[in-house]
Amino acid sequence: MINWEFCVAFIQASMIFLLAATGELVNQRSGVLNVGLEGLMLVGALAAFAIAAKTGSPWLGFAGGMVSGGLIGLLHGFLSISLKADQTVSGMGMWILALGMTTYLGQPLSGPLPGDGRLESVIAGLTPMFFIGIVIVICVWFGLFRTKYGLWVRSAGEDPSVAVVSGLNVTRIRYICVVFGGVMGGLAGAYLTLVYNPVWSPNPTMGRGWIALAIVFFSMWRPEIMLLGSFLFGFLWHLAISPSALQFQGIDLSYHFYRMIPFIATIVVLTVISSKKISRIIGAEKPAALGKPYFDQD
Amino acid sequence: MLRSPVNVTSTSPQAIQTARPVAGPYSHFMDLSKGEKILEMRGITKIFSGGVVANDQVDFDIRAGEIHALLGENGAGKSTLMHILSGLIEPDEGEIIIGGQQVRIGSPQDALKLGIGMVHQHRKLIPAHSVLENIIIGHPRTPIILNKHKAKKEISQLAQSFGFEIDLDAKVWQLDASEAQVVEIVKVLYLGARILILDEPTSTLTPPETEQLMSSLKSMVKQGLAVVPFITHKLPVVLDISDRITILRNGKIVDHILTEKADEKWLARKMVGKETLFDLHRTEVELGQEILKVVDLSAMNNKGFQAVKGVSFSVREGEIFGIAGVSGNGQFELAEVLMGLRKPTQGAIFFQGKDIKRTSIKKRWSLGIGYVPAERIEVGSVADFSLGDNMAINLYFNDNYCKWGILNFKKIYQDTEASIREFSIKTPGHRAKAKEMSGGNLQKLILARVISCRPRLLIVNLPTQGLDVGAGEFVQNKLLELKKQGVAILLISEDLDETLSLSDSVAPIYEGQLMGILSRAEADKQKVGRMMAGMVRSSE
Ligand SMILES: Nc1ncnc2c1ncn2[C@@H]1O[C@H](COP(=O)(O)OP(=O)(O)OP(=O)(O)O)[C@@H](O)[C@H]1O
Ligand SMILES: [Mg+2]
Repeated sequence: MINWEFCVAFIQASMIFLLAATGELVNQRSGVLNVGLEGLMLVGALAAFAIAAKTGSPWLGFAGGMVSGGLIGLLHGFLSISLKADQTVSGMGMWILALGMTTYLGQPLSGPLPGDGRLESVIAGLTPMFFIGIVIVICVWFGLFRTKYGLWVRSAGEDPSVAVVSGLNVTRIRYICVVFGGVMGGLAGAYLTLVYNPVWSPNPTMGRGWIALAIVFFSMWRPEIMLLGSFLFGFLWHLAISPSALQFQGIDLSYHFYRMIPFIATIVVLTVISSKKISRIIGAEKPAALGKPYFDQD
Repeated sequence: MLRSPVNVTSTSPQAIQTARPVAGPYSHFMDLSKGEKILEMRGITKIFSGGVVANDQVDFDIRAGEIHALLGENGAGKSTLMHILSGLIEPDEGEIIIGGQQVRIGSPQDALKLGIGMVHQHRKLIPAHSVLENIIIGHPRTPIILNKHKAKKEISQLAQSFGFEIDLDAKVWQLDASEAQVVEIVKVLYLGARILILDEPTSTLTPPETEQLMSSLKSMVKQGLAVVPFITHKLPVVLDISDRITILRNGKIVDHILTEKADEKWLARKMVGKETLFDLHRTEVELGQEILKVVDLSAMNNKGFQAVKGVSFSVREGEIFGIAGVSGNGQFELAEVLMGLRKPTQGAIFFQGKDIKRTSIKKRWSLGIGYVPAERIEVGSVADFSLGDNMAINLYFNDNYCKWGILNFKKIYQDTEASIREFSIKTPGHRAKAKEMSGGNLQKLILARVISCRPRLLIVNLPTQGLDVGAGEFVQNKLLELKKQGVAILLISEDLDETLSLSDSVAPIYEGQLMGILSRAEADKQKVGRMMAGMVRSSE
């Protein structure tokens, strides 16, 4: 049965996608692709878990998760913006680095989070971080489309040479955006280990970062569609791990089948949405300079 | 940053309160009487990495209230000099003096703070954004939270005061070339430019639009703005509106002159450095079989309006079929439909008797249809590719250059070098990148590329746009030579003189319809001009 408890759990699951995807959306809008989103989340998850376990304060845990995510973002920015490395390769590197590092460093912490490090719920089972997360997403939407800084970000992602002629500092804009993406990725990881499932085990994200990355593409770089997508995938994800919520009459499918659902859905949705027809209806297009390093006039 | 704080530090927010171009922080422009020197460039030298000396000890000055034309052949160094002034390139040597003090212009921001704004030869707008967004980006007074309503009001007022009409809500990709040009001018004015540098402002404008722009420029000058338009090939326009003319050749200043003392012949000679002949070699040839036949063709434009309405005509071997019209009347859409870049909504296209309505673009190229787009730089070339590779893009389906999918680069590079020589393209060689070429030289390369495919039908848009006098004449003669060889040519041009002197048949186009098809003998300038304006239709 679908009850409120199930809903709370699925909303929490959705928040993880939403926070991670929001950050990625911003750095992609500025023209920097970070496929290492999964890695950002891993690092954030471990830092938050470790700090919350040591200090007993979830808020310090969140802060630690965000800072560590931001640092990884900064590293990606340095490689891909300043050194003009291939963004995909650099992003992959971030993920592999994070996976190895968190598995190794997290080893002694394995197990559940001590009670005082957890975040208590305030309203109907939802924690304050849920509300803060929603506010952040709304601010990003507003910032991107209603403020001049948003216009700058979108311009840097569409055509950096035009942005430069218009007097913008493309390098700085892109740096700020990748660091923001990193902070949000770290926050998503922290949300995972402090709220959704306060247990440390190796690779706790289990592919959520990749799905969040897919959600950004699926949203056609529009925050409002991304919000919808995050909840859709959050629902599917949670359904997959607690299939008893939806017992299909007479159909007794294996647990592995349910685990496949979110990933199959990703493929289907991405294929459909990226067709020319649909993207024309939504009227959105990929930032034209996404993934391309910007070279100053030499 | 700026070494000397000329007026930059004094830029208080209050001083930029109004969007009117007259007021502003640039007090050094305000109390000057007409003719006083406001800006001076001294001994400017710029040598590019390939060893090209683009500017060589150039001295140049701008005076209050004048329109100053900078002339020169393709590759003479005009854009480079203006890029230095607008902060995009730093000179190797030389100084810039404004209001008596030396300044360093390290970026476009610095230039704008000094009141210098530039409209570039290649469009610098973001297609996915709206016109409004494109204009306000980078404006210092744009509030953090965008107030689109207020910005719109200010911008339309500003635009109207100079007689420009723009739709601020349209997306830039929906605009045609001339609309985009106007947006760029308004943008630079809104950013507060008092010295407006225009690089080839008229090359994409139609004659009435050019006239409109020129009268707007004159009114700006009256309001105390200095303007530097620079026009390479439209000498009559230069003579009509400018006050002073500076001529560059091979990166050096060869002469300054007051416009009233100059004439066209003299200017052309100074630019080229030798006597030029205005001479087209036209030979009449017997027209052969029908190559292209278009029946009742219609198509939409990017905004979703009917742009081509039931057009029918045919072009034969050795015939130049000229479509004369003011841009925006459907001629570009027509060309795109013929090339397969745009879907027709009705009608049929026959190439050598075969219906090609559903044939792919690539197949059309290999059938022998060549296409020269109007936006040669944006659509026609890859900026980061070398010239040789830019040639290769268009030759991969040609058996002479590509066997079993393997490109014969040796031949491509040899032929590129040959084209560079034949078209006298100014560049160090086929290894140079497209973005390192001057605008006119890149145009020539793209023309050369299409011609080297040996098309049976050549669709050519604005063939002499952006070319200097000599190069323009060379291209026109090239078209006549192709005609002699039996190529069918569909010529789309806004230059009526060009269309009339080259074409065997002339079809004026107005609002997507051909107003008639006139033979060479019937087509006189006045008649065609009236038909282009939609006033008369030929009786047949
Ligand atoms: N970024 C660059 N790198 C190397 N060479 C360059 C670069 N930009 C321009 N050049 C060279 O400098 C010379 C002057 O170019 P410039 O663009 O100033 O010419 P122009 O007078 O504007 O010509 P046009 O009328 O064709 O636009 C040309 O020979 C060109 O090849
Ligand atoms: Mg130029």
